[in-house]
Amino acid sequence: MTSLRPFLLAVAVGTAALAADPVPVKIATDASGASTRVVLTFAKKVSCAVAEDPGHVKIRCDDPVAADPATGKLDDAILDRFATEGDRTIVLSTGRGFRSVDTFALKNPFRLVIDLQGSRSAKAVPVPAVPAKALPVIVIDPGHGGVETGAVGPSGLQEKDLTLDLARRLKAVLERQGATVVLTRDEDRVLPLDDRTAIANHNRAILFISIHLNASKRTTAVGAETYFLSTSATDAEARTLAGLENKAYEPPDAQPKAEGGPPGHDLELILWDLAQNSFLVESSKLAEAIQSELNAATGVRDRGVRQAPFRVLMGATMPAILIEAGFISNPEEEARFKDDAYKDKVVEAIARAVASITARP
Amino acid sequence: VTRVAYALVAPLCALTLFACRGRDSAQPEPIAASPAQSAAAPESQETAPLAKATVTLYFPSAAGDMLAVETREIVDTKRPADRGAQIVAMLIDGPETDGALPAVPPGTTLRRLWVRDDGNAYADFSEELLAGANAGSSDEILTVYAIVDSLAANVPAIRKVAILVAGRERDTFGHLDISRPLSPDLSLAAAAAASPKE
Repeated sequence: MTSLRPFLLAVAVGTAALAADPVPVKIATDASGASTRVVLTFAKKVSCAVAEDPGHVKIRCDDPVAADPATGKLDDAILDRFATEGDRTIVLSTGRGFRSVDTFALKNPFRLVIDLQGSRSAKAVPVPAVPAKALPVIVIDPGHGGVETGAVGPSGLQEKDLTLDLARRLKAVLERQGATVVLTRDEDRVLPLDDRTAIANHNRAILFISIHLNASKRTTAVGAETYFLSTSATDAEARTLAGLENKAYEPPDAQPKAEGGPPGHDLELILWDLAQNSFLVESSKLAEAIQSELNAATGVRDRGVRQAPFRVLMGATMPAILIEAGFISNPEEEARFKDDAYKDKVVEAIARAVASITARP
Repeated sequence: VTRVAYALVAPLCALTLFACRGRDSAQPEPIAASPAQSAAAPESQETAPLAKATVTLYFPSAAGDMLAVETREIVDTKRPADRGAQIVAMLIDGPETDGALPAVPPGTTLRRLWVRDDGNAYADFSEELLAGANAGSSDEILTVYAIVDSLAANVPAIRKVAILVAGRERDTFGHLDISRPLSPDLSLAAAAAASPKE
């Protein structure tokens, strides 16, 4: 019997060592909107309390955590910097513009989303403002616009006009359901892809829905499909690597990019990509819900839920999907999209899916 | 046998010259060849007849929204960039079967292709590649992944592929993010392989 004692002791030491292993936490911040958002993505569920001190918001966790990055400086009027304190506390040092904090948690993976409300009088953001205490905002993005017509159907129907038409109809239906809806464009104009995502982030949207119509050289192609971002596109490590690789890449005949991104462009993109990575589970659920409602309502060919590295979805800090509602290169499908009743059927299907997702506790 | 060897070497030289076009500046080649690559003898110095290698090319399917598969033979060159250039040249020439559609717009040429030690390939196309831009995402996805999958599936040294146009990086052709190297998406091709006939 005595021979068991060293063994038991070893087990006890082993479990103690395991329990002390800190839980990895990824920290992403986004100060581009009216408020500053911090997303903590935990490797496993840890219970934490968020407390406000003068000059700080502290996230105290029950288990040790290892933050990545451990510190960060934003020079933002609402959130100045963040750091870790001891092995269980993440401290957000707020700036002069900070007023209040909102927190919510998401599952799979476990995340804490911390919205620091306040003002940045020095650099006000020129975006459509949402009244305080408004209902959750849903942002609808009509694809293309202006000289970027998108696809054009055999009888001349233009994708940019149809996406705007569908977006306006969807807005009306969602507003009847009680949502606040912002369109990324409500006129026929060019709007860069990154600006569309930024409008959703600025408005702290709970959902981002980009509407497109498809086209193919194969005029027989028909049907609807719903996309969410592919995981490889948001692989944080791959992205970090890619950012470094891009810096090293200088072909002999390379000319600078016409637009010429600002310094720190790569880092910014990596953080934004991480943001959508945190919402892929919700994005896939939204895509599944929309696709099944579209199938039931329209009876057109089900092209399913798919994943691809759509640029417009990459920077979104909320569940984000892109609907290809049909092929306007196909004469019959183009004709259907000239019919008001059919267009209403499509947007009502999307609205039902949105209601089913947002109604969840 | 000698004639066969000549016939194989000639287009290869043309490809190599073609791939080097535009490299007239005094700046050095930016992509350092790996030790293994520099050690490989230039093809022209090889005396034995060049072996062939079988490759699988991916073209947009004529029947569905997937990639169709065609099997071809290339000269079994050692340099990943030479293998890649041969594969892209075949993509540009277009499919040989009825079940497949051209992968790139007519008139598109490959300006250069190079492979870095980190596994990223850079395929630099002429402006004609943009002819299909800003249209349907379906065709855009198939064009992008016909290129990415054909290179990544057949050249072991290539893990990801960046598509450049006229020497420049682009953010997008209208939908997909192409600002950085893309991983292959063999799910588009797997389904095609499972049902090659429609």
